[in-house]
Formats: sequence, structure tokens, C-alpha cells
Amino acid sequence: MAGNNNNPNKPKLRDGGRRISGRGDDELRPMSIEVGPMVRPEGSAIVNWGRNKVLAAVYGPREVFPKHLTDPHKALINARYIMAPFSGQEEHGRAGPNRRSIEVSKVIKHVFENNVLVHSFPKTTVDLMLEVLQSDGGTRVSAINAASVALVDAGIPIRDIVSAVSVGKADGKMVVDLDKDEDNWGESDMPLAFSVRTGEMLLFQMDGMLTIEELSTGIDLGFEAAKKVRAIQTDALVRKYAIPGESAQ
Amino acid sequence: MDMDKMILEQVKEEYVKELLKAGKRTDGRALDQYREISVTKGYLRNAEGSALACIGATKVLAGVKFDMLEPFADRPAEGVVMVNCEFSPAAHPGFNPGPPDENSIELARVVDRGIRSAEAVDVAALGATGSPDGKVLGVFIDLYVLDHSGNLTDCAALAAMAALKDAKVPQLKAGKIVRGSDAGRLSLRRNVVTCTFENVAGSYLLDANFEEEVASDGRLTIGVSDDGFVCAGQKSGAASITKDALLGLARATMKKSGELFAHI
Amino acid sequence: MESVDFNENGEQAPAGRVQREPGRIVLPGEMVADRPTDMEGCFVAAGRTYVGVISLLREGKVIPLKGHYLPTPGDYVVGIVTEERFSGYNIDLHSAYEGTFSTRDVREEFKVGEVISAKILDVNEVNEATLGEPRKFSGGQLLEVDFVKVPRIIGRGGSMLEMIRSYTGTDLFIGKNGRIYMRGGNTALATLAILKIDREAHVQGLTDRLKEFLEVESKRA
Repeated sequence: MAGNNNNPNKPKLRDGGRRISGRGDDELRPMSIEVGPMVRPEGSAIVNWGRNKVLAAVYGPREVFPKHLTDPHKALINARYIMAPFSGQEEHGRAGPNRRSIEVSKVIKHVFENNVLVHSFPKTTVDLMLEVLQSDGGTRVSAINAASVALVDAGIPIRDIVSAVSVGKADGKMVVDLDKDEDNWGESDMPLAFSVRTGEMLLFQMDGMLTIEELSTGIDLGFEAAKKVRAIQTDALVRKYAIPGESAQ
Repeated sequence: MDMDKMILEQVKEEYVKELLKAGKRTDGRALDQYREISVTKGYLRNAEGSALACIGATKVLAGVKFDMLEPFADRPAEGVVMVNCEFSPAAHPGFNPGPPDENSIELARVVDRGIRSAEAVDVAALGATGSPDGKVLGVFIDLYVLDHSGNLTDCAALAAMAALKDAKVPQLKAGKIVRGSDAGRLSLRRNVVTCTFENVAGSYLLDANFEEEVASDGRLTIGVSDDGFVCAGQKSGAASITKDALLGLARATMKKSGELFAHI
Repeated sequence: MESVDFNENGEQAPAGRVQREPGRIVLPGEMVADRPTDMEGCFVAAGRTYVGVISLLREGKVIPLKGHYLPTPGDYVVGIVTEERFSGYNIDLHSAYEGTFSTRDVREEFKVGEVISAKILDVNEVNEATLGEPRKFSGGQLLEVDFVKVPRIIGRGGSMLEMIRSYTGTDLFIGKNGRIYMRGGNTALATLAILKIDREAHVQGLTDRLKEFLEVESKRA
């Protein structure tokens, strides 16, 4: 983010009072969700959001390995977020975890520690395998949305569907669902995950420079956007699990 | 943190929570009160900048070194800032030697986020090296946790910022660093500090000590710049947070930050 | 062969009765009662009951569509011997939790890989089961379904199970953990029938469709 405004490579993020993509400030990129595309995991989902394509696979509840990490009171949540070497728009990435992906995995783990009814399954682990197949700004929030749908598909009890979105400031305006340029070159990026039912945040990270008022506006924008994300998640699940002869919702 | 969950430490959770019900902390502090803070700049001589920060018994040493390196492709005229963190096995029986774990990586990245977001370091000045091969100056900030008694993040951020303040840029000769030389202070644009709050049984405690961290359900770190912006945020741990609580803690950070800036 | 009588989510009323209200899919986080209740797959928060797993809400009942079996005392289950220890056996229960029984309680020897039936006598605080009445199966085959479908496979008062038995001549032992052991008769047809129930478990009129299916298929054989 450093020195963005002076950097000659910085693209314009707004033109004629609108985002370059033409989206409204509170408008999401097109999102679609495939529920249960994989057979081997207990549950799975692919989220397509803008050009992001993120796959989530859920295994468990199952035995903890290594065994000494076992918690006799609750299930552990283990999240592994990783970007495929071919996922970026630029050069070939390195395979395997790096510092960024380790941090992202950690905060995603915390999201679901609060969300899964972990006390129903003591001594076990629920593993979330999150593969970024294609990235376009907002991969961690895409991964969270995919993981949440995959947990439902896996029949693992959760408190609410988790709906995540990034909010940020791009060329002076607070906007939702940053695309890659807005993420890279905007003044601030704030990935958020909500339980829409309670209004609470399960993920909060922020970089860049914001006033407290902007922070407040950003969270409000994020919550409204999360409601839209939740509607898309709900719709995908209901379509997948529709039972002939019963009303959908 | 995993090492926090050592059985012996868990036993202490109970009295922390019990006292909190009466609005009291184990060491008698107010909920929004720091332990004693001290910062020693210039703690080391070989590093180009250094500082030892202490918050209560927690000690973090920051060392700054400069190196010539390739700039980022999309920012060829800018120097590079990098933050790393090492949890020394000396600091706690639960810290093991080996590659950085998720806790030390998270800590480094949160400190890095604040410094980078606020453009604390004048990266344009570090880019103007005149090096024939296009190399720029890189600032390596290495954080060594020497004694862990809670709230590593704020202590590390303080050490990092103070070490940057202490740092002297070396002279360059034909695009190479002349070690031990001094071309003046590192140019800084802003100062940054963080305030970290632990959610213990629903109360947010500033500057948690070790027992309080063990009893904590979740953590929020807010970074602020000395010109009044929020420049880093990180929720960690399982507990969720409401908008109102978060904004309240951001305001508390603004209020408290003066105390920390005074030490840099 | 014995099985437990499962009445919950019982079979549809016979044709001719009043058509019931259509159900709807409910998702985690949705409130199903404004008071604390003990419903399957649900949880209580702030004095209200919410859905925890994707379910069908029909006639005031929450019927989970997916789930993970937790050993429950009194359940008859089908297990697989996974480990022989000095003092007993570890049994996989198609669950995150294992069961065990002691060598003292049995006369015969069991081998790793053998399929058994057993009753869950007790479950400890971490869901591990103590098993009783272990009996070996042999000469048949094992089928697995999601355990939430088991009540449908059995049907009201065992009606569905009885229908499959009568058309196929197959002995069926239905473990409440979602494992079914089949022996004798037309096991291929019994398998197809159970997989059909698994797929269409909550589609109305299943009994009639299954009867028709068994009628047609058994004549073809």
C-alpha cells in the first residue's frame, strides 16, 4: 500500500464518479456457488466470485492427528488455505504454504471455531481444505463463503451460515467487494465475515488508512453486502437439497 | 496460542475470571491500563537500528538491518520494508526452536501491516539509491521475543517503531552498502503503535498479562498512526465481535496511543 | 435378526387420508422455536431454538437431511473390528467415535475386519461407546447410508423393512449408525431398494413407489 498515490503504475480505480468496473459502491461482483461438486469429502463447495474460483472440502469430524493435540472438550478446527501456483494473473506462484497463507489459514480457523458446534464432537477435528484455484482479489472471503457452504453440505452442525466480503477504500470512496486492482492499489482493505443472524463479526482484518467514521461506514457496508452473500449461499443450498413435492424455502 | 493452553496455565484461568466478575485484574490494574512501559533505543551496536521494549515483564528486542535488493516489480522506485518475528525458546517453555509457527507469523504480519499501511518508512527515499542494477534499500525489521508475559503484539510494535526511529541509513558506494557508515537517520513519515485487547469472559482487557491471555476467548489488535488514522486491524481467536465493541476499542486505542507514542 | 423400532419421522399416512402440508428446507441459523427445545440437529441460543444442520421442516418437525452418528446408549449398531488389544477389541462405528468391548465378555475370538452387530451399553463423556452383545456376521454383505436415513429405511413400525424382506427374502440388520448387513435372498434387489430409499428418503409417497419398484423388479428376476 505504501506510496500508492505517487506510484506511476497505479491504475485509476474510479472514473466519472464510478468504479472502473462500472459497479455501484455497494454492488457485488457476480457470484455463483456449486454445492457438493466432490464425492470424497463429507461436504464441498466451489465459489465463483468475479474471477475468483475457490474450492472448499470438509473432512470430519474425525480423529485428531497428531494425537496429543486432541481436546477432550471440543472438536478442533483446522483450516488450510492455499493458493495454487497457477492461480494468479501474474507469474507462476510457489507451491505450498507461505507466510501470508499461514496467517490467512489461522484467521479462517478462528472464524469457524466460533461457528461450528465444537462441543458436540469432543476429541475430533474438522478439517477445512481451501484451495484457491483462481484469484481476483478477495480470495480469503471467497474461501470462507465456500467453507461455510461445504460445512452445511457435510451435515456438520453450525450456528449460522458465515457470509464474508471485503470492504475497502478505493480512490477516496468506501466500496464493497474489492477486485484485484482495488485490493492492490486502494487506500484500505478490510476483509470481514459475519454471522448475519447475530450481526457479529467472525473475521476482522484491516490495512491501509481509515478514520474511525470510515471504519464504521465500512462495517455497515460489509454487513449489508454479507446479507446478499448469504442469500446466494442459501439459494445454492436449497436448490441442491430441494425435495420434489416440498416447497423450496 | 497452543503453548498457552498448557495444562498448568489453564488452571490459572479460573481465578482470572473470578476476579474479573468483581471488575478486578490479577495485578490490580484498571481494564484499560498498561503495565509499566520502557523502551531502550540503541540497545545494539552492530544493527543499524535497535530497541528493547518492555511492557511489564514482556520483553521484545527489535533489530533493523539494511540490505540492497530487487524492488517489487510494480513498485520499482520504492525501497522495501520487511518484518519478521522469532519466538525465542528462551522466552517461554512453550516456545520451541524451529521455523516460525502461525502465531509468530501472525504477529509479524500485524506489525508489518501497521508500518506499511501508515507508510511509516519513506520508501521513496530508500528507492533513490542510484544503484546501476536498479537495486533499492531494504529495511529488515527482526523482532525477537525474549520474555513472554503477555501482549507480545503491542510490545513488538513498540520495539519495531522505536528501532526504526533509532536506525541510521548506511552510506552507499557504487550501489553497495558501506557497513558501519552513517548517512543520517532513516526518514520516517509517521509513527505507528498498536493496542491489543483480550476478551476475557466478555470484558475487553487492554495489555493482557500471560494468565489473562490464557483465559481469553479472543483478541483484537488495532494499529493507529500519530496523525489519527486507524492503520491496522486484526481479530484473532474464536470470540466474535460486534461493530459497537470494535468501534469502542478503536476509540480507546486512539486515546491510549499517546502514552505509547511518548516512548518512541 | 432383530432391529429396534424407530417411530420418529414415521412413514407417510396411507393413501386416502388428507394430503399433508408441504415441508420446506431449513438452513443453519434459522429459528424454529422461540423457546428452548430439544430437536434433532438443533441448538439453543438466547432461549431460542435454531437449526444447526440442513433439515426438512415438516409439520413442526425438524428432520435432518445430513448428519454424523454419535453413539447413543440403547442403539443397536453394525461395527467393524479395527483392532485387537490384549484386553478387548476396538470397533469402528461409522462415526468419529469408536466402540470397545472386553475379551472377558465374549467366548469367541474376533478378528480385525470382521463385521459385527452390538448394542451400545454406555457412552463416556467423550462419546466413546462400551458395547455389549457382540455377534459376528458372515456370509452376507455390508451397505452404508447416512444415519439420518435409517428411520426411513425401517419405516413406521418396521413397515418398510418388512416390505423389502417380503419381496427379496433377504435378512436385514439395520444398525442405527447407518450400516446395514444383508444376507440371503435377492440381496442385489434389497441393495437397490435401500439405495432408492436413501436417495428419495423425504419425497412423499415413498412407500407406494418402493412397493411398485419391488413389484416390477422382483418379477423381472
